[in-house]
Amino acid sequence: MERLLQYVFDGLSLGSIYALLALGLVVVFRGTGHLNFAQGEMAMICTFFTWQFHAWGLPLVVSVLLGMVAGFVLGAGVEVSLIRRVAKKSEAGVFVVSIAMFLGFNSLAGMIWGNLPPEEMPSLFPDEPDDFVRIFGAVWRYEYIGIMIVALLLMGLLFLLFAKTKFGLAMRAVASNPESARLVGIPTGVVLAASWGIAAAMGALSGAMVGGLAGELTSLLMFTPFIYASASATLGGFDSPGGAVIAGLLIGVGEQLAAGYAPGWIGQELRLGVALVTIFVVLLFKPSGLFGSTKVERV
Amino acid sequence: MMKINHGSPQHWALRTLGVALIALIIVWVPTQMSTSRIGQFSDAFVLIIAAMSLNLVLGFTGQISIGHSAFFGIGGYTAAILIKDHGWSPGYTFYAAAALAFVVGCLIALPALRIKGIYLALVTLAVAVLFPTLVKWKKLAWLTDGAKGIDSVRYDELPVWPILGELKGRDGRAVFAYWLAFVLLVVTYLVCRGLVKSRFGRSLVAIRDNETAAAVMGVNLTVTKVLVFGVSAALCALAGVLSTLRTGVITPEGQYVTLLGSIVFLLIMVVGGAGTLWGPIVGGLVYVWLDNTTRGFGSESDGVIGFLFGWSDQSPATLILGLALVIIMFVAPYGLVGLIKRLWVKVVVVVPKPAGTSLPTTGQ
Amino acid sequence: MKRTSTRVFALAMASALTIAACGGDDEGSSSTEAPAASEAPSTEAPSTDAPSTEAPAAGWAVNTDDCVDPDAANAPIEGTIKIGSAMPLSGGPAATAFAPVKDGFEAYIQWANENKILGDLTIEVQIEDDQYNKDLTPGAVEKLLDADTNVFAGIIGTPNNTAVKDLLNEECYPQLNALTGSPSFGNAEEYPWTTGLLIPYTTEAKAYAALIADQFPAGAKVALFTVNNEFGQVYAEAFKEIAPEFNIELVDEQTIEATDAAPPTAQVNSIASNAPDAILAVPLGAGCATFLGEVANAKAANAGWNPAIFMTATCSSPLILGLAGPAADGIYTANNLVDILDPEVAAQPAVAEYIAFMEGLGKGDIITTAAAGWHTAEVTVLTLKAALESEAGLTRASIINAARAFNQATTFTRPGITLKMNGVDDQYMSESLQVIQYNATTKLFTDIGELITDFES
Repeated sequence: MERLLQYVFDGLSLGSIYALLALGLVVVFRGTGHLNFAQGEMAMICTFFTWQFHAWGLPLVVSVLLGMVAGFVLGAGVEVSLIRRVAKKSEAGVFVVSIAMFLGFNSLAGMIWGNLPPEEMPSLFPDEPDDFVRIFGAVWRYEYIGIMIVALLLMGLLFLLFAKTKFGLAMRAVASNPESARLVGIPTGVVLAASWGIAAAMGALSGAMVGGLAGELTSLLMFTPFIYASASATLGGFDSPGGAVIAGLLIGVGEQLAAGYAPGWIGQELRLGVALVTIFVVLLFKPSGLFGSTKVERV
Repeated sequence: MMKINHGSPQHWALRTLGVALIALIIVWVPTQMSTSRIGQFSDAFVLIIAAMSLNLVLGFTGQISIGHSAFFGIGGYTAAILIKDHGWSPGYTFYAAAALAFVVGCLIALPALRIKGIYLALVTLAVAVLFPTLVKWKKLAWLTDGAKGIDSVRYDELPVWPILGELKGRDGRAVFAYWLAFVLLVVTYLVCRGLVKSRFGRSLVAIRDNETAAAVMGVNLTVTKVLVFGVSAALCALAGVLSTLRTGVITPEGQYVTLLGSIVFLLIMVVGGAGTLWGPIVGGLVYVWLDNTTRGFGSESDGVIGFLFGWSDQSPATLILGLALVIIMFVAPYGLVGLIKRLWVKVVVVVPKPAGTSLPTTGQ
Repeated sequence: MKRTSTRVFALAMASALTIAACGGDDEGSSSTEAPAASEAPSTEAPSTDAPSTEAPAAGWAVNTDDCVDPDAANAPIEGTIKIGSAMPLSGGPAATAFAPVKDGFEAYIQWANENKILGDLTIEVQIEDDQYNKDLTPGAVEKLLDADTNVFAGIIGTPNNTAVKDLLNEECYPQLNALTGSPSFGNAEEYPWTTGLLIPYTTEAKAYAALIADQFPAGAKVALFTVNNEFGQVYAEAFKEIAPEFNIELVDEQTIEATDAAPPTAQVNSIASNAPDAILAVPLGAGCATFLGEVANAKAANAGWNPAIFMTATCSSPLILGLAGPAADGIYTANNLVDILDPEVAAQPAVAEYIAFMEGLGKGDIITTAAAGWHTAEVTVLTLKAALESEAGLTRASIINAARAFNQATTFTRPGITLKMNGVDDQYMSESLQVIQYNATTKLFTDIGELITDFES
């Protein structure tokens, strides 16, 4: 029982990080119809910004917020300067450009910060060895609880944004039909840029949390989380924010259970494999994911 | 701008010139250049083969795949295991690797039947990331030696080929690898060309342009997609075998065995020109040249380059490649080959024969 | 191409090189001191007690008959001798950790030329960047071969060295002082031209196993935590092989991906649930610190469990352990070189000269990692010196013969340790080591037990 709970706790916390990153993917997809392959790397470089701000003396929370702002600017900037122009020419081109960004940001982070020893990244939450709470014998660390709460909060905010604000409405309009949206007077350009900006900002936050958990920063920080996030978005449905969240938590818990209860077969090595197989299976049988909407294509 | 009629003596002269030029370069490299340069060309050929295989699936059929590194790895590992553990002669491993990869490729095509676009990209992403993970899996360590990889995969004695004669030592190995790679490159090119110019090739393009329309016009989507994935995988595996034989080692973190490999193949294809036969060739050569040149950029360069990149201790090679990719997408969306074609047309235009004419046409 | 997260490899090499294991030595003189008191050129220990520039042991000599070009292998090298190497100078965390090795290496060569260690012979060095990517090492080595390199030394990385050993052995070029501890680099029969410089992982594992058996004579329960790449795998296999000898029961085996930056919570929890007496950890670079952090967490959650932690020598850099803070207190590790950060060691003439020389070059801030390069270059040049003074003169064959007859202490070796090889009888250069324990408050290491020299063949 204790072990089960332990796996569930760990899974929920890790899962909320995946969910946060996955939400970024979903926001971009809902807003613009594209998959941002560079979501993880953009998050990573924003985390480096956060670290840099902190190293310059700013308090951690401020640094994280600034990092998110930097993310927003980065995301919006990329959309305006690159994505928009390429999207006019070809859809596949957007994918290629996002791959180029994947390479570019990774390289850039290595170039700017690379020659320093691994950066020490403080956590937003208390993370001394004693900072945990015991529930039915299983240990739940404050750090993990904190991450979950922050992630859920943000998801809630996003949900409010989508459902209750005019801007959210505009985003949905642009996503479903950009032409009509423009005709109605919605500033599509702004909406698109903002979608990417929000997604990048969320990536920055999840990066800060992953970095805080790991305690150090390298340019590989968000590579594996990106895979998990993709799996979550796939499972949940790329156009369903709620779906991405639930899927993220499911995958987080699922992989912990799989690794924990089948150490010989899955263990820690194939933990990622769980996420990958999930992608495979979902796309094979229900490509729209658990909560996504099936696209009806006009022939 | 010169107008030449198709089939005229001038046209033949032009073609012969082109072929002669290429032949000259091909022969000059292994005979006149240093061993390490020959090696670089061999590596370029390997990449070109892999990019050509991806081109079949992505360029011509429009199916996004970033999973070809898995096929590359399957090829390499098959060869390594057969040579090291079972004493096979390296020559036969090409066939075995291609056959195995063909089967795997067909299997992976099955999800492709139902999904498109980014979803397919995700599935192939999963495949690409899954491959190294599986190789390192403890349960498969008996086969793959886990994270250690397999080393000393090489020809004990280089086979004796006509003209080349007996080859020894590293110079011999380099020359042999070069010619082996070249032969495989030609084979791959011919296979691709044959496929593309046939009815099968036309159905591939039809699928790329509009799948539903293609189906309506009688293209068997299932068979076509499965076959093209299979062939593509087999060709990519050949590149994998070649690479393993050249370096002598294969590990799960190998250069083209991970997701990064798939990305490089994609890069080459896009830069060269997707959907063209010569695109991967041009792209591969440009990539290798760019990679080798930019690797040296750093704190030790002078002038503009030093200014742009000298402040960092890390090589900007990947960044430059990413930038190059973006620039190509804007400036030359049909790749360098597309660009060359556009410019070439300003110099020489080959006027095709009017349809239905059987009379020989006069020159200009 | 870099970035290959997947390429992040045995940072292990780096650390082993990072002469971090502090001495805390209370031994007065060391063989390195006395000669240093005299003139500069003979700073090397050899001039005193250790048998110095010995002619290659009559026993073992390499067979050049199967070489591609036996004449070239036995041709005298005159005027200049060119040393080639491949190191990660860019392309990720490996470069961050190891790039200073190049600086130390080149600095020593410069110093050796200035002090005419090889007499009138000038030493040239060319170090190529292989980005810690074993696919690039063959290309780098080919380039060096085309550039008339005579001997290779100090190539970093197990896979990198493995990738070129077939080539170099076929062409009969010495591949000296490969910076790897993989046991496969002590194979004088199949790869006579290749030698390794780091403490073999098998030896390290044995030293730890012996210490564990000492502390738990009734049989200990040990858990393994290794990075899932070649380095970790080789290490794990080495330990598992000798565990039964020392009455050690392996209760858990966990791995972590080299590319996974997340803390190994699940792995450590699993280990903790088995409550081992000791943990042998072989993480990669910064992973050393995250692992220790998790263990601290697990200890807090499991009152009463306080395992002895043994970490690979590659973690023994104060830089890395510092990241873990108090969680690193009390960990055991090993090294065979002195810690130049220790003021006592830094005061020794040979070491002081090194530090001064590096500062003169404006590289005073990287002296720890660079010392590994200096050390490697020193061993290489001493080998060249022995070959030069041998009967056959300086030829590629005589160089490898001299290498396999090496028997000296050097500037950075701990007092009491000599680097020694002997044909097929002793195929590893560094088999003696000192187990040390880290004190997180003072950030120094203390020696545990005696210098272990039992493994010297």
